[in-house]
Order: sequence, then C-alpha cells, then structure tokens
Amino acid sequence: MARIMVDQLRELIAYKDLLKQLVVRDLKVRYKNSVLGFFWSLLNPLVRVATITIVIKYVMRLDIPNYSAYLLAAYLPWVFFQTALLDSSQVIIHHRDLLRKVYFPREVLPLSAVVSNLVHFILALLVFFAYLIIYIHLILNGSGLLITTLLLPVLIGMQCLLIVGLTYIVSCLNVFYEDTKYILSVLLDVFFYLTPIMYPAELVYSRIANLHLPEVYRMLLYKLYLLNPMNVIADAYRKALLPPAQFSLRGIPIKSLPLDYGMLAIAAVICVMVAIGGYAFFNSRKWVFPERV
Amino acid sequence: MRPAISLTNVSKVFDIVREKQISLKAAVLSFRRPQPQKLVALQKLDLVVNHGEALAVIGRNGSGKSTLLGVIGRIYKPTTGKVEVDGRIATLLDPGAGFHPDLTGRENIFFNGAIMGLTTAQVRNCIDDVIEFAELNNFIDAPVKTYSSGMLLRLGFSIAVQTNPDILLIDEALAVGDAAFQEKCYERIDSFKRMGKTIVFVTHDLEAARSVASRVIWLDKGKVCADGEPETVIAAYLAGILDQEHTAREKQGFHVARDNENSAE
Repeated sequence: MARIMVDQLRELIAYKDLLKQLVVRDLKVRYKNSVLGFFWSLLNPLVRVATITIVIKYVMRLDIPNYSAYLLAAYLPWVFFQTALLDSSQVIIHHRDLLRKVYFPREVLPLSAVVSNLVHFILALLVFFAYLIIYIHLILNGSGLLITTLLLPVLIGMQCLLIVGLTYIVSCLNVFYEDTKYILSVLLDVFFYLTPIMYPAELVYSRIANLHLPEVYRMLLYKLYLLNPMNVIADAYRKALLPPAQFSLRGIPIKSLPLDYGMLAIAAVICVMVAIGGYAFFNSRKWVFPERV
Repeated sequence: MRPAISLTNVSKVFDIVREKQISLKAAVLSFRRPQPQKLVALQKLDLVVNHGEALAVIGRNGSGKSTLLGVIGRIYKPTTGKVEVDGRIATLLDPGAGFHPDLTGRENIFFNGAIMGLTTAQVRNCIDDVIEFAELNNFIDAPVKTYSSGMLLRLGFSIAVQTNPDILLIDEALAVGDAAFQEKCYERIDSFKRMGKTIVFVTHDLEAARSVASRVIWLDKGKVCADGEPETVIAAYLAGILDQEHTAREKQGFHVARDNENSAE
C-alpha cells in the first residue's frame, strides 16, 4: 500500500513540469484579457470584508478595534480554501477530452487547481501585509510584525495539505456524482459561518463557558469544536499575524485566549491524514475517470 | 530485445453507465428491453508489436480499436491481462482536446509537451523543429483560437512527431492538412519506421493503411480477426464486412448494443 503510494508520488514528481504548465496556463488565461488582472481577484474579498465589517461593528455591535484586519487575517485563508475546493470540483470534468486521449498522472489536475489558488492567496497575503504595516503598525502603534508571523509557512503548509486532501475527494466524487459540486457549495456556505472568520473563536469559547456544564465538559466541547482543522487554522492565522484583540460584545469585554499549540499540532496531524486519505481515495478511482467523464 | 508493445491475454470490460451517457432513443428502447450491463471491448487479446513496425488497426465501429489504443496508451487499465510498453508514448491529440484557445501556439506546444511527459527543457530543445514542421513560423505567437482547422491539425501532428517519442499512437487523424503536408507526414512516418520507432494507428481509411502500415490487424468484437500483410488483411476485412452486415442486421438488439459501444468508446 505504502509502496504503491510512493511510486505514485514519484511519478507525480516526474510530471512536475506539467503541474507548472497547468498552473501557468490557468493564471495566464485568467488574467489575459483584463488590464487590472490580479486586482480584480482582490476586489471581491475586499468588498465582502467591508460589508461584513459594517454589519458586525454597527449592527451586531461586536467591538474589536481594527476589526477589518482581524477579519482579513482569517478571511483570506478562507477564500483560498473555498475557491480551491470549488475550482477543483470541476477540474476533472473540464479536462475530459484530454483524459480520454492521453495518459498523465491524473492527480496533477486537482493539484494544479490548489497551486494556482495558492499563488493568489500568497499575492493577497502580500497586499495584506502591506496594509498591516502601513495602517496598523505605522499609524496606530508603531510596533513591527509579530514574531509569530514566522508560523505563517507552517499554517499555509497545513492548510495546503488539508485542501489537497479535500480536493482529491471532491474532484473524484464529482466525476461519479455531479451533485457533489452543489452539495459542496452549500457546505462551504454553512462552514463559512461555523468557522471563526467573522467572529473570534473566543466568542464560541465564551458561549460554551456560559453553559451549565462541569468545567471538564465545557473544555472538551471547545476542543471538539477545534477538531475541525479549519477552525484551528483560521484562528491561528489571526493570532499569529495580529496582537491579541481587545474586544467586547455589546459592551461586555471578552477575554482573549492565547494560541493553542497543542490543538494546532492535532490539527496538523489531521491535515496530514486528510491529505493521505484523499490521495489514496483519488488514486483508487482515477482509472475509471476516462470511462465516466 | 523487448518488443515495443506487448499485450498478453488483455481484456477490457466497460460498465455501462446509464443515466449519464444514455441517449433518449436508447432510453426509450431500453424501456422495452433490459440493457446489457457490461460491454466487452477487448477479449483476451494477445498482440506483440516490434520496434520499427507501423501497425494499422482496422475494424468496424465498436470493434474495440480505440479501446486497444487506450489500453496501450495507459488510458484504461485492462480488466485482465498485462500490457507492457517499451519507450515513451506520444499520442496525436485532436485539436479540441490538446489546445487551449486563448494561449498562443508556442504556449500550447509547451503545454502539450508537458502532457506527454516532457520537461520544459526537453520541449525547449525541440520547439523549433515543431514550429518548422508545422509551417507556422508567422503565427506561432498568435492565440490558437485564430488558427484555421488545418493549422491546428498541423500543429498537433507536429508536436506528436517532432518531440521524438518511441511510440506514436494515432486515432483516426491521419488526414492532416493539404496534399503537400500529408505527403510530408507520410515521409515523416516512414523515417520514423526507419529509426526503429513504432506507430500504431486506428483508421477507417484503408488507403492510408495500405500506404503507411507495414502490418495491419483487423479487430472485430474485441478480437483479432486477421493479422499480417496490409493487402491480405484489408482484402479479408472487405470480404468479411459484407458478410457481417447481413448477420448483424438479423440479430435483434444490434442497434441498442451499438449505441452503447459508441458512447463507451
């Protein structure tokens, strides 16, 4: 089993130039006919962020100074997660003519969707850093970037593993059941609200803390919530990039929690397992694709 | 020396997926008669193709020709049996499959090369030959969507042959461009054979089979009916096809079965 997977990985590496070509092609085609190119892809999240900021601050009255920065730190990774999954759900179907004519490791296709979205994500992060340095650090308090910013590659790596595993599952299922893409978009919509993106994870914690349960159960419940690796990752992005938020809900201050490295480690293990499992799932079915697409 | 291609006891059975690929006509017909669940495209096929051979595969629609090519080209995993291939395979892609309309000819060459397992450096080494052979010097940096269908075919053929594969697979696409270019293609295929490279092509064009192939096999219902000298096999095929026409017509359910075969191809 492990031997087969190693061989498959080796073949995948032999085709790394195909991956590069697919990514380059994707990026070129996406931006070929627009002058502003990359900035169009930033516009959508920025408008979303502005809207959410207004709703949360002025309608829901969750008070966090520089809320938009806290939102962006978790929202940009979410956009990466979402678009990579949505793109890859279609990627096998889009290449059906090729699949039926020529052999190449099929695993390259979902991977290319992830990598080209990763490129976007990193570009968006660079813009975010520029904003962070200029707005938050220079104007407001003059401090530099946090040391925990060094965690960023780890978080991106974890997120990539999670996304790769899920895209393998989704892109494969979509070949057999075209309902997959609809179910996926509904699930992504639901999880956007369940994941601590618009609100800090502490809010969930404070809700659980108010439950009439023994302390052990309350802690357990919160850990359970953090078993979803995307919850941990979204929260960790925020905590790694920004100083602890001083926030309050309808005037009641809420204690901010430090980054939970234990849960982060567990999430990393889950991400690796999802990646391996998704890859194996995809490979066990990839030979049927040319007959089904 | 190992043969270029060797198939031992190879069968390929397709599961027929009803809901997706079924046509309305077939759906109505199947209402009356339950459909076959499995389609046997290749039946216990043994075939050895040596280096330097140009093998033409002929046969009726649904006889398993494309499946044979697919099994050789690793598109399908055979249901039983073993396929061994010695060397790098290139497939002549139809323009619809291999090219992205918004990218230039040059960009598409890199993409196609990568699909066939070449590295970017390897493509860079042969790209001038590809462009030269396709006679597209003036248009190579224009988007492929501006190309005529002849230009696309030329580019596709040129990528397949000029990237120096050991084995070339061609499915029904030898009629490339004008007479002059076609002549060039045949010459190229001849020099291919002389270099000890192998060509397997599926065709309905018996003329092409005569002029290009050094060996012809006739497939019928997934089995090799005849194998040998082009003239002999083509004659046998032509005689057989008339015979088959009669028996097939008499067989009930022929049309239903054929529709399925076509969609599975």
